[in-house]
Amino acid sequence: MKRLFGEFLKGIIRENPTFVLLLGLCPTLAVSVTVINGIGMGIAATFVLLGSNIIIAMIKNTIPERVRIPCYIVVIATFVTITELLMKAYSPALNRALGIYVPLIVVNCIVLGRAEAYASKNSVKNSFLDGLGMGVGFTLALILISGIREFLGAGKLMGQTIVKGFEPAFVLGMPSGALLVIGLLLGFFNVLKNRKT
Amino acid sequence: MRDRLIVSVSPHLHKKESVSRIMWLVVASLIPAGAAGVFIFGMSALWAIILGVVSAIAAEAILQVCTKRKVSVFDGSAVITGLLLAYNLPPKVPFWLPIVGSFFAIAIGKQIFGGLGQNIFNPALAGRVFLMASWPKYMTTFIQPLNYDAVTSATPLAALKEGKLLEHISYLDLFLGKRGGCIGEVCILALILGAMFLLIRGYISWHIPTTYILTVGLFTFVFGPKGLFTGDWLFHILSGGLILGAFFMATDYVTSPLTYKGQIVFGIGCGLITAIIRLWGGYPEGASYAILMMNAATPIIDRFTRNRVYGAQ
Amino acid sequence: MTLAHFLTIFISAVFVYNVILSRFLGLCSFIAISKQTKPALAMSLAVMFVTTMSSIITWLIYRFLLVPFNLEYLRTISFILVIATFVQFVEMVIRKISPPMYRFFGIYLPLITVNCAVLGVAVLNIDMFFINGKAVQGSFYYSAFQGICVGLGYTLAMLLMSGIRERLELCNVPKAVKDFPLGFVIAAIMSLSFLGFNGFKF
Repeated sequence: MKRLFGEFLKGIIRENPTFVLLLGLCPTLAVSVTVINGIGMGIAATFVLLGSNIIIAMIKNTIPERVRIPCYIVVIATFVTITELLMKAYSPALNRALGIYVPLIVVNCIVLGRAEAYASKNSVKNSFLDGLGMGVGFTLALILISGIREFLGAGKLMGQTIVKGFEPAFVLGMPSGALLVIGLLLGFFNVLKNRKT
Repeated sequence: MRDRLIVSVSPHLHKKESVSRIMWLVVASLIPAGAAGVFIFGMSALWAIILGVVSAIAAEAILQVCTKRKVSVFDGSAVITGLLLAYNLPPKVPFWLPIVGSFFAIAIGKQIFGGLGQNIFNPALAGRVFLMASWPKYMTTFIQPLNYDAVTSATPLAALKEGKLLEHISYLDLFLGKRGGCIGEVCILALILGAMFLLIRGYISWHIPTTYILTVGLFTFVFGPKGLFTGDWLFHILSGGLILGAFFMATDYVTSPLTYKGQIVFGIGCGLITAIIRLWGGYPEGASYAILMMNAATPIIDRFTRNRVYGAQ
Repeated sequence: MTLAHFLTIFISAVFVYNVILSRFLGLCSFIAISKQTKPALAMSLAVMFVTTMSSIITWLIYRFLLVPFNLEYLRTISFILVIATFVQFVEMVIRKISPPMYRFFGIYLPLITVNCAVLGVAVLNIDMFFINGKAVQGSFYYSAFQGICVGLGYTLAMLLMSGIRERLELCNVPKAVKDFPLGFVIAAIMSLSFLGFNGFKF
């Protein structure tokens, strides 16, 4: 039981897809401008990750090795389409907010990366937990980054102005600012890690 | 500093020059430009300069204490960064702007690379573009020269970009600094005085400033507004941050190429990018961006212009 | 279809709207592979090859398959399939020619498939060179050329970054920011400097 839980947990801290594996950066930078977008994207990506990990783990032995990547892509694209349709139906506002980045989950390195590195080599149960952990880790990373960027870059959190009379630094709403935030966060986490050892 | 790497056998003559002494001399050569800026724009300019310099020193000291490295604020490099950052600001900015800018310049532009000698980008310019992207309103609001009531006015280059040239701006006005602009960039006379001192004593070499300025002049002359070879090259050379950038920022040893050949490439590159942005880009002035881009290219330039070592194939 | 058009595409794709530093596409591989110049150049060549060929093929598919049959909404799926197949092909070739390089690239070679730059330029070509489903004059050549230029822009960013990081190897950078954190900060400053090209108008 402990080992199963470990499969889930590793995606959150030890192998966090954003801060440790450094995957999925393009959409992370683009979407993490506000916290709501970050959460929405995180949930959508987690759903796709779960679906694709499970299916790929199930069919991994029937895919010829030479065409495995295109096969994974078809599976992922299917789940992305499902996500897109569900979002359009049940939360159209979020769909409009995330715009083209929902279909771009297809090219989110995390999803294909986990399919290639994990789901193609592990059991369905473990792949499910891996997907869940990675998805949650990704979502938490998005919340952290977008929280910083929204607060310092626009003076708001979740769309609400928190502190009056402070001039936000617009650069944080731009991808340059996102790169800066990610770089500094990574450095900060390294400091914490070095302090532990 | 005519040769960067002198490899020779001892005995060596010991001179009084040390890195620190050179930096304080650069500070001294920058003072005329700052004094002129204060005279032209008033007390708010002086405040910006003071805050910029003090914040730079404080930022460096704090960071060095926190990372348990030697505190080196007395070598003058933080002062240079603070001064140059302030010189790149419009005269009337909120008090916190130079503070944030200096902190960014020192922390992200310099210390995060490991401190003096290891940064890739000119710290003051990194701070400046950061401020520009973050608070564009404050970074593009300029005031009239010699009018201490702080009436807003456009800079000559901004007016040019809008298509309306400022009436009664003569070359002499541009040269003396009677125009809107950043604190340390407007008074060409003061800048040239400081730069001449550095050039004559050999603390900076002529390669970068000359190629930079010549390239801008030539390019803006050729691609003139009314057809080829009709450009007002003197206007372009005397406007904006070109003189300040070419003599005091592009020449920074750490962030420019080692060899003379490399420096010439560097100068030409800066000139091309500056001119292109001025003529066809969205911003009226491109010097800061040009220098930073060429800073990024410096390692590659060095790689391809290495001097031949005697005895090697 | 004039020289000026091609020149504009070149300057735009390589400098003004550089795929990595202005459009921020292709970052995963950029941060991972840009530590040394030789592998960085090798990756850039691979990416340039994929962007060029996939620009051509996706254009053909869009023009002769999707538009005539009103299947434009299948654009994303069909494009990504083309790209994925192509990358698989490149992977096989590299594995044959140079096994050490293949092993060096590791997971980042198949990840060219999801390199936002590749899908991005394919979609960009359609957005820029088709109006209401009809190809503008010279659309094919513009698209192919833009594919090449996006690859060149990617190469430029990689070259600059690898030069910088190679130099930093010789410095004693604070331990906490070594490698990736500093890489991101450098990319941040580089992209700040490329902001200078904003609002470009020939």
